[in-house]
Amino acid sequence: MVFLYDNEAYSYDDLLHAISGSGKYFPLYRTKELFPFFANMIKALAAGMPLTLIDADINASEIDGVEESDINAEQAFEPKTYQSMDEVVAALQQSQSEITIFTSGTTGQPKKVVHSISTLTRNVRLGEKYTGQIWAYAYNPTHMAGLQVFFQAFENQNTLVNVFGKQRDEVYRQIAEKQITHISATPTFYRLLLPFEKSYDSVVRITLGGEKSDQHLYDAIGQIFPKAKINNVYASTEAGSLFAAKGDCFQIPEDIRDKFKVVDDELLIHKSLLGSSESFKFMDDFYHSGDLIEWVDKEAGLFRFKSRKNELINVGGYKVNPGEVENAIMAIEGVRQALVYGKANSILGNVLCADVQLEEGFVLTELDIKKHLASQLQDFKIPRRIKFVEEMTLTRTGKLKRS
Amino acid sequence: MESKVLEIINGIRSAKNLGPVAELRPETRLREDLALTSFDLAELTVKIEDEFDIDIFEDGLVSTIGEIYAKLA
Repeated sequence: MVFLYDNEAYSYDDLLHAISGSGKYFPLYRTKELFPFFANMIKALAAGMPLTLIDADINASEIDGVEESDINAEQAFEPKTYQSMDEVVAALQQSQSEITIFTSGTTGQPKKVVHSISTLTRNVRLGEKYTGQIWAYAYNPTHMAGLQVFFQAFENQNTLVNVFGKQRDEVYRQIAEKQITHISATPTFYRLLLPFEKSYDSVVRITLGGEKSDQHLYDAIGQIFPKAKINNVYASTEAGSLFAAKGDCFQIPEDIRDKFKVVDDELLIHKSLLGSSESFKFMDDFYHSGDLIEWVDKEAGLFRFKSRKNELINVGGYKVNPGEVENAIMAIEGVRQALVYGKANSILGNVLCADVQLEEGFVLTELDIKKHLASQLQDFKIPRRIKFVEEMTLTRTGKLKRS
Repeated sequence: MESKVLEIINGIRSAKNLGPVAELRPETRLREDLALTSFDLAELTVKIEDEFDIDIFEDGLVSTIGEIYAKLA
């Protein structure tokens, strides 16, 4: 029962000592150190103090409403004493803290969203069954997905091993050495682990979230982690985690089914399920998620994601879903990662372009990829310029960056 | 410069399963003689722009090889 990162290890007792009896915390804490970060967060939440989570590498000027002088400024509060971690967990579950987080700004300025502990921990599962797990921590801790994983592991007092932003060899070394049982990460993270070389039997659960995944990736994960059940999670900065995954579909739980609407294929979420933010625009109390979905079974609340609304690229009057093209490229043997985007063009409005990262040891040309795609996609969906890149640019939350 | 344009055009043609052309003349027409569609022309502009940093279609239509050479000269 420990936190592990780089060469440091902390036990839950260390955490208890850091929290119990302390009457000072940072309402706005900027640090690269994971243990002090989590200790500060739990201390604040257990005491019901407000907290704002910001990235370790961000400047106040990059986010609205934050002054540089507020960052890492200590504040006093009535100290609380805890005898055990169980008491800390219980205090955290009852917390009335306001927790402010920011969107990662995949497509623009980070937006501020205020949450309560109940929206952040809505999907935490507790109990005997969930103890003794060893989690690979593959997310940025200041954003929604990282918080979801953290609270799931923390409330069950499980081990967390940091692998966020680590190289492939290092991730594999940690999985083997620490006998990791659970990994929750973005598809981009799992693609880093390709190609299959060796299987790891300690992993029993793989969760993907934050981006669209594809069959090629599922198959490869199945080879690398043959004992693992694979599932998906839908969590947004705005709403936290809402749906249960069923294969490549999601199901809206029955008790909140009236809180959703679909208009022009876009998923609308009732405001009662969201955190609060000035940047939210509601129409009749519903928030436009920007996620385009299709019903698989409307009565059962079962649906599948198609794409993001603002992602469709207009190429000579045709609308291209970049996710569909990326999936087709990533299904080609030897391709690790693909990013499809439009480049402004005087003839077509946009020309479809792709950045492609190959697996080590594979050689593919632009023509090879085009020929592959020609057998699967309509002509207008085939990228006209394919660049081979060594690395992809990632956002702070480990997703592919769309410029 | 002319050999680079030839290489780009033959690359576009081969993706369409058309054989390479041996040479380009100034009067060679992009659509009629080289069988380039507007999607192909868009690719041509992007690739020429990558190479020479000039958008050949920026201010109006270009229909022959000679007009491309003039823009790049």
